[in-house]
Amino acid sequence: MTEITVKIKIDGEFKRFSYDGDLNISVTTLLEKLGGIEYSCSCLQGLCGSCAMVINSQPKLACQTFLSDEIMIHEYKLITIEPLSKFPVINDLKVDKSKLYDDLLECEQWIESDSKMNYDEIDFEYEMSLCLMCGCCVEACPNYDGNDFVGTPIAVSASKLISQETDSNHLKILKKKYKDKFYPHCVKSIACEDVCPMEIQTQRAISKMNKKAVWKLWQLIDRD
Amino acid sequence: MNINVVGCGLAGLSAAIKASELGASVSLISPNYSETSQSVMAMGGINAALNTKGENDSIENHYADTINGGCEINNPKAVFKLTNDAPKIIGWLEKLGVSFTRDNDGNVDLRYFGGQKYARTAYAGARTGKQLVTTLTSHCRKKEARGQVKRYVGWRFLSLIIKNHQCLGLIAINENTSEIRAFKGNVILASGGLNKLFGKTSGSVLNDGYATSKAFMQGVTLANLEMIQFHPTTIKTTNKRILITEAARGEGGKLFVNRDGKPWYFMKEWYPEFGELMPRDVVSRGIYKASNAGADEVYLDITHLDEHTIKVKLDEVYNICMKYLNLNPIYEPIPIFPGVHYFMGGIKTDENHKTNIEGLFAAGECSCQYHGANRLGGNSLLGAIHGGCIAAQNAYSTNIDTNESFIRKSLENEQKLFDSWRDGDEKNIVEAENELSDIMNASMGMYRNFDDLDNALQKLNVLKNMKIDSAGNYYDHVKINSLFVLASACIKTAIERKESRGAHQRSDYPETDENYQKTTCINFDGQIKISFEGLDD
Ligand SMILES: Cc1cc2nc3c(=O)[nH]c(=O)nc-3n(C[C@H](O)[C@H](O)[C@H](O)COP(=O)(O)OP(=O)(O)OC[C@H]3O[C@@H](n4cnc5c(N)ncnc54)[C@H](O)[C@@H]3O)c2cc1C
Ligand code: SF4
Ligand code: SF4
Ligand code: FES
Repeated sequence: MTEITVKIKIDGEFKRFSYDGDLNISVTTLLEKLGGIEYSCSCLQGLCGSCAMVINSQPKLACQTFLSDEIMIHEYKLITIEPLSKFPVINDLKVDKSKLYDDLLECEQWIESDSKMNYDEIDFEYEMSLCLMCGCCVEACPNYDGNDFVGTPIAVSASKLISQETDSNHLKILKKKYKDKFYPHCVKSIACEDVCPMEIQTQRAISKMNKKAVWKLWQLIDRD
Repeated sequence: MNINVVGCGLAGLSAAIKASELGASVSLISPNYSETSQSVMAMGGINAALNTKGENDSIENHYADTINGGCEINNPKAVFKLTNDAPKIIGWLEKLGVSFTRDNDGNVDLRYFGGQKYARTAYAGARTGKQLVTTLTSHCRKKEARGQVKRYVGWRFLSLIIKNHQCLGLIAINENTSEIRAFKGNVILASGGLNKLFGKTSGSVLNDGYATSKAFMQGVTLANLEMIQFHPTTIKTTNKRILITEAARGEGGKLFVNRDGKPWYFMKEWYPEFGELMPRDVVSRGIYKASNAGADEVYLDITHLDEHTIKVKLDEVYNICMKYLNLNPIYEPIPIFPGVHYFMGGIKTDENHKTNIEGLFAAGECSCQYHGANRLGGNSLLGAIHGGCIAAQNAYSTNIDTNESFIRKSLENEQKLFDSWRDGDEKNIVEAENELSDIMNASMGMYRNFDDLDNALQKLNVLKNMKIDSAGNYYDHVKINSLFVLASACIKTAIERKESRGAHQRSDYPETDENYQKTTCINFDGQIKISFEGLDD
């Protein structure tokens, strides 16, 4: 048992708590023990993305982040917990991620046709379907600010849908939305891939989309 | 036609999609986005007799296994439809773009699951539920964009609007703003299992059982509440008991306890034909017995499987063990014990997913029709999707007169209750919830007896009369008070079913009694009333 200091950002200011107990617990269990702090959670096992928050300056899933693994705890007996900063706070650590979902709608992330079967791409499509919409990627992204740039989840989602879609009109829309709302803003800093709790290869998604949506369009424009 | 769907897991999503396809205007009401519903947690797979493995599997076999697994108190008409429609549902999901794992011939691959002799469980890697939810959510988004489905995220169901045995709509509250509003039209409840009664289960903490308890108190008939599935293999972590999917046994995982310094594979010895793949209730009881009621450690061993199978087909098992137990299942067996997992009972429906109230439907884990006394692995994802679709079809063809003034009055009443409620000061809500789950865990475990159940009822009565401090949260206030009633109803069903069948085992009535080959029906008119009725009444 070691006594640690827990700093939690509530209403923009850090409040200090102390915790004295087993360090082999997750951050959600810590919050439960402290009591009275609002945060989102559902599965408590890293499958749903609800509990994403900033822990010792890193966006992470609180239910699979263990105190005993945090270097700050070993070095300074300290843990800081903040709500994701790129979304409006509802209360304490609970944030409103509706912008991510609105963008999926705005970028028409669905298919109009029956899905094309791509035997060689099943693994890729499977991986891209794992996105939790947790928001860790956009938290880490240097360019995402909740305005025009729609962020990594769109690239991940679109990279799967464009190989399943056969409706040529909608395919054009999927590509155009990516080209307008993702491509010009992304500087390929890879920060999103580093923090993704599902280890989704976001750069593969981005490269694929760039190749299919941007590169080809440039060629078309050249020909015109 | 307005259709209001409560809950956005697979049952709610399927209902919303189907209803909007038919032309309804759908409100999809839930505190969360679909990505965080319990449905995403399902790993193992979804059943359908596709018969692509040259084993001569058939819909008849699927039907027979489901009824057999349910110890013959399933609704036979509902199971008939379910198993018959299963292959079509897989076809539909393929068309929508679900990335099912494929076999060498390019067919949807099938794996073995408990209670089924044939490979019948389709799966998508180690995350079947997640893959299904991602695809259905994307499809639902298309309906949202066209204005056919409107999502109300951050909203919780509060009560039904019922007049003369007809459901005219529902009332919901916004968690963040406390706005209360009425939604008129037919209602499909798809609010998931009764997890909160037991504190934390293998499932989502969002599924608190409130919608079921409130509907019950408003006159909706429930069924088979005593049938609570203990999943044989869950591991103890500091978060909660986490499930190790049945697929681990389907791929060849073995259960053992140490006897005289050697592993004893008790399931193989007791059930040579099916071994570890007996239905879940049987495996859970086997573990209980072999471990001397939990005194000895029981292990799930997958160390003999090749590394590729563990890391690819069972990657979730690998991740969970590494993350939460610091144990590498490639080299070490996993210590397990049964844990509360699934509620076979809930809102009683017929094969059309109609409840006893006209205009009210229920689907998914909150409802009761398919699974009898024990659900087969892989049948609940199927049941949730199938149920959502069938409920939508029937809701669409049910016309209820709208009675605007009655709806307005109901809303005003709810608003008055909200304006006038006061927190109690006798017990805080966290303590009350903990006591509730302690009572349920102590009395409604794998083996039950009259003395424990009766004792639990008395404790609940004390708790019920306390004034709970809900920390200023109205939803929590109404929730905890109606969960007390639901918990009492569960315990009473367990008292009244004086036999052992499937998930309901009475140490004081260890035999199965044919007189109870019936549905346990639970009604409320100020008092909890229990009766036993014919299986498809
Ligand atoms: C770990 C795990 C593994 C599983 N694996 C499998 C498997 O391999 N195969 C299989 O067939 N089944 C499996 N299951 C079971 C299966 O996942 C569920 O039974 C099924 O997904 C239930 O779907 P649903 O739509 O009924 O409910 P859920 O997905 O639980 O959704 C319920 C919805 O209702 C909402 N809700 C709750 N209360 C309210 C309220 N008051 N107001 C508004 N909304 C509310 C919730 O927020 C949620 O959106 C597994 C379950 C778990 C926990
Ligand atoms: S891409 Fe990864 S980090 Fe981003 S929302 Fe999806 S799961 Fe989360
Ligand atoms: S690659 Fe960099 S800029 Fe592009 S989305 Fe990811 S984090 Fe943002
Ligand atoms: S609660 Fe689901 S990921 Fe943490």
